[in-house]
Amino acid sequence: MPAMATIQLQFVDWLIIGLYFVAIIGIGLYLKRFTKTGEDFFLAGRRNSSWVAGLAFLSANLGALEILGWTGGTMKYGMFVSHFYWVGAIPAMIFLGLYMMPFYYSSRIHSVPGYLKLRFDEKTRLLNAFSFAVMTLLMSGINLYLMALVLRTILGWDWHLSMWAAAAAVGCYITLGGLMSAIFTEIVQFFLIWFGLFLVAILGVVELGGLDQVFAGLPDAMSRLWATSGDAAANSMGVTWAGIVMGLGFVLSFGYWTTDFLVVQRAFSSKDLRSARLTPITASFFKMALPFIIVVAGLVAYKLSLMPGSGFTLLPHPETGEPWNDTALPLLIARYYPAGLVGLGVTALLAGFMAGQAGNISAFNTVWTYDIYRVLFKKDASDAHLVWVGRVTTIIGILLSVGTAYLAMQFNTIMDYIQAIFSWVNAPLFATMLLGMFWKRTTSAGAFWGLIAGMAVSFAVFLGFKLELFGPGLTYALTFSESPSAMSCNLWQAIWAWAVCFGLTILISAVTEPKPAEELTGLVKGLTARADDSAHGLLGRPVFWAAISLAVLIVLNAVFW
Amino acid sequence: MADEHEKTGDDGRTARVEPLPIWFFVGLILGTYGLIILVAGLVGDERPTVLAEIRPALWWSAIMITAGAVLTAVGFLGHRRSQRKVDP
Repeated sequence: MPAMATIQLQFVDWLIIGLYFVAIIGIGLYLKRFTKTGEDFFLAGRRNSSWVAGLAFLSANLGALEILGWTGGTMKYGMFVSHFYWVGAIPAMIFLGLYMMPFYYSSRIHSVPGYLKLRFDEKTRLLNAFSFAVMTLLMSGINLYLMALVLRTILGWDWHLSMWAAAAAVGCYITLGGLMSAIFTEIVQFFLIWFGLFLVAILGVVELGGLDQVFAGLPDAMSRLWATSGDAAANSMGVTWAGIVMGLGFVLSFGYWTTDFLVVQRAFSSKDLRSARLTPITASFFKMALPFIIVVAGLVAYKLSLMPGSGFTLLPHPETGEPWNDTALPLLIARYYPAGLVGLGVTALLAGFMAGQAGNISAFNTVWTYDIYRVLFKKDASDAHLVWVGRVTTIIGILLSVGTAYLAMQFNTIMDYIQAIFSWVNAPLFATMLLGMFWKRTTSAGAFWGLIAGMAVSFAVFLGFKLELFGPGLTYALTFSESPSAMSCNLWQAIWAWAVCFGLTILISAVTEPKPAEELTGLVKGLTARADDSAHGLLGRPVFWAAISLAVLIVLNAVFW
Repeated sequence: MADEHEKTGDDGRTARVEPLPIWFFVGLILGTYGLIILVAGLVGDERPTVLAEIRPALWWSAIMITAGAVLTAVGFLGHRRSQRKVDP
């Protein structure tokens, strides 16, 4: 099928897109002067304030795929999408800042697998390092493939050119400036997304006649957060409040936000422990604001699609021919934006794609260099050698991403596995981390075999649902639903992986020998000095801002109940 | 010899020179984009868009230019202050 461009770019739009590439490569060149040591390259010199680290923490998660996907997802799931930004993120971010960050930051590690080495042993570190490396490369490649698919559909751009140009730019600035380059471009992306896309939601609300008109006439399943969550059949996501709270709000959310090195690495770059603790708490406020772009724009698109004569019709998916929800946001850009603003909107999406890839690559090069290369190949590597390895790994990681993108192009069912990969890596890891940080009796054997079992269960449950191997009885026992939706299966897959890892780690720990207490100082609750914020006023204390964040979360949930 | 991103003070002590803060670069990018969009908005767009009558390019670019100026100033002044601390 020939590519069908919906957005026509003019000279001024190309100028804005071109300037973005000049700016990010220029920033990379400028930052290279300040990137000398391993700490500079892999941890941005540990010099960042909580504002810089916090915005980067959020932006590393905020890819264009998420923005396009959830704007389109709102047309299907309505306000339920907000759960991914509110209950499915904020409690975990606050828990990370208040309770887990002291163990991470105080141990001066370079990565999450590095904590597993200190707390448990080398084999647990390697297990997590390899699974994380595979996950980030797959995610990076799939991100690249979907970027090319979207750009081809909405702009008519060539597949190969857009993939290679984006990969080359990301490879260039990460190789030059390391994590600091990634963080700088993530913050540029954050501002571009707000300035480039929030206007879409504003103009949509203006066209419909006000925010109350956006919600007017919508069924409860589309306009309420919790009112229809008592019965899975009453909402289009097909999940109950238990699935949302336990699967999304607890296992998946805590598993992602507290253990995924892609985001946690940004907090490690903070200049001190207080800034590191404030990093996810600062990010939580901006995370809560995102539905005001994404969900509002999605609801506007939904209402326009129902209005005869609005001229708003989703584009067909280039592979399935079905109406493609991911085109909702680009179609709104084409609807409202004149020349210049179109360039800004497209640049915001491009920046989102590229920052997502940069986040994956910068996390990958750190884990590969410190947790795999140094452990298996060169234990006595000098700092300068590790920086060199980090730069080479960046280029290799980019090439592997492009290879994965071509693989995804050939076998596009690979994308069905994205959520499965997250559940496979992050859900059991959260159980291991929780026990490791808060129960000093947890042993290395318990952690390792618990993690293996959790990953195996995650994989088995995924395959069981995917290949329809489970009978009705087992399906009900696993999901508390006779015909669970794909989303519900994902959530329960994560819950079971976490539960098995948690239970087995406790059982094995009960019968094996724990590490002596003196080896656990600074790594476990009860053997670590409590973070002391008494030198700071109320406004400088993480716990104060965490309380405000929670209060805002409660108010938002009450308003849209 | 001092590194290229280090400065030596009168007392002979060497201190690290920090890069310009990110706010400076974000401000420059937003300000430049705001100016380009403002000019494009004044010239006008032949392509018909919904709500063109409220001229979104003009008032949105004004907001971008203002935000860009504030962030550039905050970044630049903050950097100058931190350099003074390095080399009083």
